[in-house]
Amino acid sequence: MASDKQQDILQGTLDLLILKAVSLGPLHGYGVLLRIQQISGEELVILQGSLYPALYRLEHQGAIASEWGESENNRHAKYYHLTDLGRARLGEETERWQRMSGIINGILSATPEQI
Amino acid sequence: MTPAKSYFMCKKAELASWLRALVYRSRLEADIEAELADHLDRLTADLIRAGHPPKEAARSARVALGPALKTKEDMRASLGLRWWDELCADLRFAVRILRKSPGFTTIAAVSLALAIGANTAIFSLTKSVLYDRLSVPHPEQLRALKWHSVGDSAVHGMWGDFDPAPEGGMQGTIFSYPVYLQLRAHNQSLEDLFAFKWDAMNATIRGVAQEVETELVSGNYYSVLGVRPQLGRPITPSDESKYGEGAVALISEGLWERSYGRSPSVIGQTITINQVPFTIVGVNPRGFTGAKGVQASPDIFVPLTMQPIVDPKGKTSLLEDSTMWWVNVMGRAKPGVTDAQAQAILVAQLESATRATMRVKPNETVPHLVLVDGSRGLRLADGMFRKPSYVLMALTGFVLLLACANIANLTLARGAERQREMSVRLAIGATRGRILRQLLTESLLLAGIGGTGGLALGYLARNAIPMLMTNRWQRISLEVHFDWRVFGFAAAATLATGLVFGLIPAWLAARSEVSSSLKESAQTSTRRRRNLSGKSIVAFQITLSSLLVIVAGLFVRTLYALNSIDPGFRTDHLILFEIVPPALRYGMGKDVELDRRLEQAFAALPGVEGVTLGLTAYIADSMSNDDFIPENTADNGDHSGAEDWNIVGNNFFQTMGIPIVGGRGFGPQDTATSQRVAIINEALARKRFPHTNPTGTRFKTDDAKQGWVTIVGICGDTRYATLRDPAPPQFMVPYVQQTEVGGMTYAVRTRFSPSQIVPSLRHLVQQEDRDLPVINIRTQQEQIDATLQMERLFAALTSGFGLLALALACVGIYGIMAYTVAQRTSEIGIRLALGAQPGQVRGMILRESTWLAIVGILAGAGAALGLARLVKSMLYGIQPWDPTTIIGGVLILLTVALAASWIPARRAAGVQPMKALRHE
Repeated sequence: MASDKQQDILQGTLDLLILKAVSLGPLHGYGVLLRIQQISGEELVILQGSLYPALYRLEHQGAIASEWGESENNRHAKYYHLTDLGRARLGEETERWQRMSGIINGILSATPEQI
Repeated sequence: MTPAKSYFMCKKAELASWLRALVYRSRLEADIEAELADHLDRLTADLIRAGHPPKEAARSARVALGPALKTKEDMRASLGLRWWDELCADLRFAVRILRKSPGFTTIAAVSLALAIGANTAIFSLTKSVLYDRLSVPHPEQLRALKWHSVGDSAVHGMWGDFDPAPEGGMQGTIFSYPVYLQLRAHNQSLEDLFAFKWDAMNATIRGVAQEVETELVSGNYYSVLGVRPQLGRPITPSDESKYGEGAVALISEGLWERSYGRSPSVIGQTITINQVPFTIVGVNPRGFTGAKGVQASPDIFVPLTMQPIVDPKGKTSLLEDSTMWWVNVMGRAKPGVTDAQAQAILVAQLESATRATMRVKPNETVPHLVLVDGSRGLRLADGMFRKPSYVLMALTGFVLLLACANIANLTLARGAERQREMSVRLAIGATRGRILRQLLTESLLLAGIGGTGGLALGYLARNAIPMLMTNRWQRISLEVHFDWRVFGFAAAATLATGLVFGLIPAWLAARSEVSSSLKESAQTSTRRRRNLSGKSIVAFQITLSSLLVIVAGLFVRTLYALNSIDPGFRTDHLILFEIVPPALRYGMGKDVELDRRLEQAFAALPGVEGVTLGLTAYIADSMSNDDFIPENTADNGDHSGAEDWNIVGNNFFQTMGIPIVGGRGFGPQDTATSQRVAIINEALARKRFPHTNPTGTRFKTDDAKQGWVTIVGICGDTRYATLRDPAPPQFMVPYVQQTEVGGMTYAVRTRFSPSQIVPSLRHLVQQEDRDLPVINIRTQQEQIDATLQMERLFAALTSGFGLLALALACVGIYGIMAYTVAQRTSEIGIRLALGAQPGQVRGMILRESTWLAIVGILAGAGAALGLARLVKSMLYGIQPWDPTTIIGGVLILLTVALAASWIPARRAAGVQPMKALRHE
């Protein structure tokens, strides 16, 4: 049940996480997965089956763009990078997330005296 | 970045990405494969590095990524490709289904193409006649001035369009020139008013004498309409600064092309119009048809103020004559002034302008001004074409509905195998919506094929109907334009069709129960319901067919009745043509002299059995009347004594074959100087002289100073303006006794065809005057046929619709009965096994189809009666409930129904009981 809940949260925020990961530098799909897990200190596990549809959706919406390039050991890979549209969206969604988490934190830290 | 802008950019990116995905589909698929493979490779490598055995690692990697098919499907869905892919799959499947039953597809597509084609052609015609606007900037601002008068109108002299108003009284679009000037001078309610007049004139263009449609226009006509010539300059107010000076003309693009080969040097050239030389100063833009309407196509535009010079009527100039009403007036709406306000002002202005310019007797009324929409010009064709257009639209609509019903029925009847297919689809998880979509795709594809065919047919036929409506001897002026509205109509008709005939069977199929129809015996449980809907569709088809067949019968019988009318004169071997000597050259009775010389010259031609001429050609929708005031009756001067008349040649009665039933005909003894004589027809004798012999009685005409005219004979009655109206009272006078006659219609009786004799006739006229054209050459029969164009068109079109309807009904009845027999094979087998005779079985099937037919026919005959009452005014010689037509139609439908069910009935009678029962 725990993993199910984690997945629910992730579905809403997967786009945001991908945008953030890609904003730190161009990445291929597997790299996006690794970077999110690495930054989260291996706390977040992303369902790999939903990663690629999300990448395609973001590219479809113009938030990221891709091109085929050479990776470390001469392998061919598709690299994603953030577009201007994506950067603006990352900014908005980050702000929204922070406001939302601030509100929720406020609620959660409420004590009887405050009411 | 503002939210709106980023939303817009996002949508733009989505569209671009979607199109890219469609265009580079194979590369996209390869990319998806490569990307997922790359992911698996890296994940596997990482797992191996972490110490997993390679085989185990590859498996875990695949498990982690999830089912590849689903992932790929999700990726495509992310690009918005899912509905497209499903549509493609549906279409592929639909094509396969349609190709599997070519017979069904052909019948359905051809009947749809015919129905949609007929609808498109009729729609484009209706649009062009009733909805196309003038091709000038902002036609919606144009307003036309009309009047409506009741009782004794003060206006007696009219030249132009006026007719009885639907609400009683008279209506017209013509005004006197002095009234126009007053209205314009005091105008505050509209932007400037302009005037124009349509007129036919003789023009000599590059040495060829011909009749041309001319528009006389006021100086501000071009500026108010906002029309810029494509070459040269427009007519301007300075062209009318002095009456009669300003002999300038603009020509239409059509004339420019026909006679001048689009040469720019046309500017400055001279054309002779009614013997008056005019300088061409400009060429009108393409598509400009003048202010009268889009059906008109005047070729020459000259200043209105040239009227007294170029087309004088009587002794006074019409520009100064306040009793003759003849010019059309239009204007543009003024911003901020509503039509009601403008009309209120104009009503008062017309009243005062009329009273200021002419004498109005105490018992007379002044026309009441009505301001109407002028975006389509004067809309003169509306009254004539509105009803026929709507009737044709309704009939073609029925044909389309019939084609829909036919396809729905065929779809149902062949649906048994589809029933199982649907059940399997539902069983393996398809949603009803998905199945509905699949079936709709099929019917829309079919409708699309039919619609494309229909549009093509409609395009080919677009000018066929106008051609049927135009006289051979006159240039076609009505062109039907195919524009986006016609395409839109065809597309809408196609879509609606696909939905109508697709939804019914689709709905029935999708609501079937999975379990019941997967069971073999389920046939019997579903048969009844589906058969019932199939039968009601067929009954509906028969209803529509009966309606169309009976209506066709009414129109065919109308045409037949009109064609079998005896017009009262011999119509065979009679060639008609007109010669209109311009008043400028042939004033003061010179036209009578010309006619006498021409009559003699024509009569001397070999092969000519008789020549005569008349003011009014018979059965040509033209009429002329004059006062007929016999001796000893009071002339109260109210024009109530006017009768139809004709000015004729002395051997008119012999040549036309009209019998003289009393007294004598005209002869060589009747000359310009002899006693003035007249012949009246029997109808006039009955009306005015019921108890006496009119021969020898004297009467006066409008032209009182001509003196008395003596009736010397009585002739048989002839139809006059139309075949429809019974022969009116009429009197004839010899042209040689008139002071002037103007344009006359010659009638030449000859065994020769027009093409054999006309060159000699034309040669004789050219010898007289090389500027005088011989116009409107036709035979009398062609002339009569021309007045029956509408009737012939209706008979032809409705017969076509009726035949198509019969064919479709045939297919429908055959389909449903064949299906019924197939479904009831086992029942029939049992009946036969229990001792029923084949004849009894055959009778049973035929009875069933007969009942079906009777229900449909009764409903159809009822609907036909209702429709026939609406078209009563278009019928002739029969009542809307004409029993012959209705019984005939019913019999035809019954015969067709029996014939169509004969084969299924025979098949039923031939069922082998053993075989049928073993099948179960």
